[in-house]
Amino acid sequence: MILEVLKVTKTFSLGAERVVALDNLDLLLAEGDFATVIGSNGAGKTTLLNVIAGACRPDRGRIKLAGRDVTRWPAHRRAHLVGRVFQDPLQGTASHMTVAENLALAAKKGARGLAPLLTRRKRRALSEVLATLGMDLEKRLSEKVAHLSGGERQALTVLMAILTKPKLLLLDEHTAALDPANAEKVLAITERLVAEHSITTLMVTHRMDQALQVGNRLIMMHKGRILLDLGLEEKRALKVEDLVGLFRRVGVSDDALLLGEGLAFAGGARQ
Amino acid sequence: MLFLGAAEQGLIYGLMALGVYLSFRVLAFPDLSVDGTFPLGAAVAGILILRGVNPFWAALAGGGAGFLAGALTGVLATRLRIPGLLAGVLTMIMLYSLNLRIMGRPNLALLGKPSVLSGLAQALSLPRGYGNLVASGIFCFIAAVLLLLFLHTELGAAMRASGQNPTLVRALGTNPANLQILGLALSNGLVALSGALVAQYAGFADVGMGVGTIVAGLASVIVGELLLRPRSLLGAISAVIVGSVVYRMAISVALRYGAALGFTASDLRLVTALVVLGALAAPALRAALKGEGS
Repeated sequence: MILEVLKVTKTFSLGAERVVALDNLDLLLAEGDFATVIGSNGAGKTTLLNVIAGACRPDRGRIKLAGRDVTRWPAHRRAHLVGRVFQDPLQGTASHMTVAENLALAAKKGARGLAPLLTRRKRRALSEVLATLGMDLEKRLSEKVAHLSGGERQALTVLMAILTKPKLLLLDEHTAALDPANAEKVLAITERLVAEHSITTLMVTHRMDQALQVGNRLIMMHKGRILLDLGLEEKRALKVEDLVGLFRRVGVSDDALLLGEGLAFAGGARQ
Repeated sequence: MLFLGAAEQGLIYGLMALGVYLSFRVLAFPDLSVDGTFPLGAAVAGILILRGVNPFWAALAGGGAGFLAGALTGVLATRLRIPGLLAGVLTMIMLYSLNLRIMGRPNLALLGKPSVLSGLAQALSLPRGYGNLVASGIFCFIAAVLLLLFLHTELGAAMRASGQNPTLVRALGTNPANLQILGLALSNGLVALSGALVAQYAGFADVGMGVGTIVAGLASVIVGELLLRPRSLLGAISAVIVGSVVYRMAISVALRYGAALGFTASDLRLVTALVVLGALAAPALRAALKGEGS
């Protein structure tokens, strides 16, 4: 197993109220799995990714990555095993640094010494890697990332996240803030890179069509639990309407669902 | 020669301005400990020179003391999660007492003692009158080049990234807290080295000589940015030194001619603070004038 989430519980206090974000949750991902995760707002999707990446520590339960118990590892140590892409393109890059500098930082995780970040040889290698994106970014190595469009930045971020071939890739609605055309492009790049390097992937999305179309597993979360965990065959038989019906049955209001359905731009409008 | 002395000072204080640039711009950490580490460098170097230590090693020891004090601020701010400004103030206040202890009295006279600047000028047989200028220029140049090279290393680049986006640095497997501690240590090392050189240049070390260091450093950084509008790291670091020299020149002009306008030397810090205030407030003021005020 690449990822083992074992009986994990995480609660937050909102004022006097206790909110259970993850409720005794179990999840296993085998090598090569590409699982999509859907759920209404507050279902615990992002908390699940945070707990796996080490951004927050579970109250109870254990997290194992590639067989190792990482429950007490800080985020920067887990980063050797986990790559992560956030929804906001601003979060995945250092915008005041150049494309080449960002990639070079991502090309080597952890220990950093006094070797020059960029040499002619490293630049050439990075430019070859960038060319695989097919976005002509290899011609813009010396440009600051701030000058890239949201789609270009997010494609670069995906590349940075998988550059050191992590065991697990976490995608947190990483196309939600993009316009439809760019979202398609970035998703296609993601699928291609994940397949090429056969990286086990967990992708949170608001788009149910995306969740059905991408990957070999579909996970539906509700109130901190996994309601549905479907394999490839079952997933193929399902339609968006079926998922909406399932959500209604567990009492997710249509309001929450419409927001959650992420009609292209909804992700950008949410805070 | 009104500007000769100002240029010399601008270069020696330029080391301090580089340190402030490192904390304020690279790490995005407004570090007030510099008000304590500047006189710390002067105190350590001063007492060592009085005990007969070579002024070069005395200056380096002063810088080393600043390095440790900066690391302390970094530890307070990261490991102990004390808000950055407060962490700096705490270090600064601790250093006030410590500096008095190191010196044993509020000030040390170093006039007539060997100085690393005059020593370098002699060793290179620099022309008389310009010896201090060239010697301080050499020091400033070496520090600037080393800083520039460092910021282009893997470690230095990670430091630059961590100032803007610590989440990214964490996701890339590096603990941003360590980068912050190292960055603050380097920054205060430069500031203390500057203090050590200023003590040798001016011929005294004084426990009060650090008051307003952060404001003078910020003024240099900002003036340089306004003048050169740098787009690269090389440009940014050059701008800091140009800013430091211009700032010292402006001060010497103000001291010379300000009297006619009713200014005295004691008004200097008020004027400096107003300059920094104006520069920092400029974006907000510009927005307000355009009617986009918040």
